[in-house]
Amino acid sequence: MEMGLALGAAIAVSFAGLGGGVGMGQAGGKAVEAIARQPEAGGDIRTLVFITFAFIETLTIYGLVIAFMLVQKIQ
Amino acid sequence: MFGMWDAVLFHLGPLPVDHLIVTEWAIILLLGVFAATATKKMELVPTGLQNGIEWIVTFTYDFFTSLIDNEDAAKTWAPLLSTFFMFIIISNYSGLIPGAAHVSGFQPPTSNWNVTATLALITATTVQIAGFKAHGLHYLGHFISPNPLMLPLNLLEEITHPLSLTVRLFGNIFGEEMVYAFMLYMVPFLIPTALMALSLLLGGIQAIVFTLLSANYIAASTGHGH
Repeated sequence: MEMGLALGAAIAVSFAGLGGGVGMGQAGGKAVEAIARQPEAGGDIRTLVFITFAFIETLTIYGLVIAFMLVQKIQ
Repeated sequence: MFGMWDAVLFHLGPLPVDHLIVTEWAIILLLGVFAATATKKMELVPTGLQNGIEWIVTFTYDFFTSLIDNEDAAKTWAPLLSTFFMFIIISNYSGLIPGAAHVSGFQPPTSNWNVTATLALITATTVQIAGFKAHGLHYLGHFISPNPLMLPLNLLEEITHPLSLTVRLFGNIFGEEMVYAFMLYMVPFLIPTALMALSLLLGGIQAIVFTLLSANYIAASTGHGH
């Protein structure tokens, strides 16, 4: 039971982190490309990419919260 | 749920007052005293503290007015969003005050569900009020746009927005605190300092993200795009 809980927490946080990391890398890379190509649009792109990161990160945080819930059950 | 040990300090009528509320009061007091002393003797050419607070106000104000395209709405709600920003950034950083961890039961207010849920609910209510204020009863039309079939999805959206705001802020700050505590447990010296620098960055970014998204939701409900 405890083994399962621990494994579940680990899987939740690692897959959430994996997906979020890939997504953020793509979004961040494209944003840097866009700013390098058109520096005068930098402000707008920065704001947009912040919002995008926030949305991606929420999904990762969901995984983290589930992991915390599982870890709390281990006693 | 998380970190909600029984730390009720005293009762204010029927309401229990715990360590989080006391910390929030301290932050409110700090902000209030700062604002009061800075604007006590206002001068046309600002110096010292007044200069600093004017910089904060104009910076956040320009930021939000550039984000919300409805001018009236931006003017009405920019103070609220600026206050959100200052309150969240101070409470995020309150965990980094030297010696804070030695006060038993202390935790940054934003590392608890209830506080972030309160902030998100304030945002959600503000979004509805701002929408009705900008469009009157026509605002209800946005729930059935582009067609009435979308009504359940639009309603669901109004619920998931505050939910995701809550979980994002809480998860980030609580997670950071947990990682930090664990790191201190493993390596008591030097190494956690790097993590502290990272959490300085993280706390600032989370405060920005929360207010940015709130401004975005207000912009969506007051804009002319629907």
